[in-house]
Amino acid sequence: MAPPHGNYADTRSRFRRPGRRSLLSGAAALGALGALGATGCSRVATAEGVEGGDLLERLRAQGVVRLGIAGEVPFGYIDKDGELTGEAPELAKVIFKRLGVDRVQPVPTEFGSLIPGLSSQQFDVVAAGMYINADRCAQVIFSDPDYQMLDSFIVRKGNPKGLHDYRDVVEKKARFATGTGYAEIAYAVEAGYEESDILIVPDQVAGLNAVETGRVDVFAGTALTTREVVKKSRRAEVTEPFEPIVDGEPHIDGGGFAFRPTETGLRDAFNTELRKLKKSGELLRILRPFGFTENEMTDLTAKELCGG
Amino acid sequence: MNWNGNAVSDFMPHFWDGLLVTLQVLVLGSLISFVLGLVWALLMRLPSRWVTWPVGAVTEFVRNTPLLVQLFFLFYVLPEWGLTFSPLTTGVFAIGLHYSTYTMQVYRAGIEAVPAGQWEAATALNLPLARTWTAVILPQAIRRVVPALGNYVISMLKDTPLLMAITVLEMLGEARLFSQANFQFTEPLTVIGIAFIVVSYLASLLLRALERRLVH
Repeated sequence: MAPPHGNYADTRSRFRRPGRRSLLSGAAALGALGALGATGCSRVATAEGVEGGDLLERLRAQGVVRLGIAGEVPFGYIDKDGELTGEAPELAKVIFKRLGVDRVQPVPTEFGSLIPGLSSQQFDVVAAGMYINADRCAQVIFSDPDYQMLDSFIVRKGNPKGLHDYRDVVEKKARFATGTGYAEIAYAVEAGYEESDILIVPDQVAGLNAVETGRVDVFAGTALTTREVVKKSRRAEVTEPFEPIVDGEPHIDGGGFAFRPTETGLRDAFNTELRKLKKSGELLRILRPFGFTENEMTDLTAKELCGG
Repeated sequence: MNWNGNAVSDFMPHFWDGLLVTLQVLVLGSLISFVLGLVWALLMRLPSRWVTWPVGAVTEFVRNTPLLVQLFFLFYVLPEWGLTFSPLTTGVFAIGLHYSTYTMQVYRAGIEAVPAGQWEAATALNLPLARTWTAVILPQAIRRVVPALGNYVISMLKDTPLLMAITVLEMLGEARLFSQANFQFTEPLTVIGIAFIVVSYLASLLLRALERRLVH
């Protein structure tokens, strides 16, 4: 992938015949590029060095793990005091402490950038309560889900269009919005909604705004995010949670933690601790402050949710 | 780094949609900024402070605040006051308004560069004011500033990706959406990068041709 230094300089000189100085600075810039490329390669190589990955050992040595979060209440966000919180980071704090990693460091990004950020080593784990689905399983590996979740809509007060699931949205020709990279895009398309007609907003707050200002009739998100975000609104409300239809079957989503595909060692260690927390009931105690209830506890596994 | 030809062909339908939106924004934004900039420039020459001060204040304000902030304001705050426009309309208006405050200065330079003798000749011939402007001053002024205006067209093209922030799916928006759905970043981003070069090069050729026509 290193750029062909000599050739490039040759073609340039044939076209433009640059002076010696510009040739030199061009070569220097190319050299710098090449060096950048080389360091990039070596970083990827270390991650693939050991069977099952050596990330856990490295994290223990550093004493800190970087968590990718998407700023979504209540899954993973920075609270009013500037502290990292949310169901996923809080759970990660407990589990990583038990694994011998004392501190967590948040890396906030957009939801759609979580998987690319994980792949490009910007953080070690995605702790954003990310739904486990087949598309994502092709890119990353997941822990078992720590919660299960239904979908819900944000609509204007009184639900004037009477929207209760994706079929209603299609039949009543409602204008539909959801977030970048959300699983809800696929659910709406499956119900027959034209993909190019979906308004893609950056997050659930922008979604609420779109509904309030009448740009769209409905914003789809998880039952929990939508419930939390409309608390601040006087002009919108949230509908009764429902199961979206996937491949003709009602489908329950589950969210977990994502790791790079090479780090199966870390993922397995994480799963072991997660299972202990589920068994002892501590999991619900950690998640309850964020609005989770018994209904959201699950015995589903990542394998079942990945499907195919 | 792997290059996946299928990803490129999968992306192309989205790419054309995005290109169309980018060109729409560019053409409409340019028209608005060229016309509105001329209006600002002419208003600023009126002898009344009641006009020049408000116009000066508004255009300075727009010129000195970031386009991205203006986009957010127009898209998220105006609806609070009951003014809701579609994302594309908002984007075109914002970019046109923003750049009109630049083109206004360009026109001003052009107008001031018309030699005083031209004004004096028009007065000597007893030309009415409107005729002086349309037949003597503006044709000379605008001819001088076409290269500078062309610059702003290129600059505007490169600012169109900002509209992604208000959910307009121009080229970068389409590329990002495609990347997030398919986890392929290299191909779509390369395609739109090349498209930006091609479009801006074509635009500059077009403007060069326009310049040449106007000289003769």
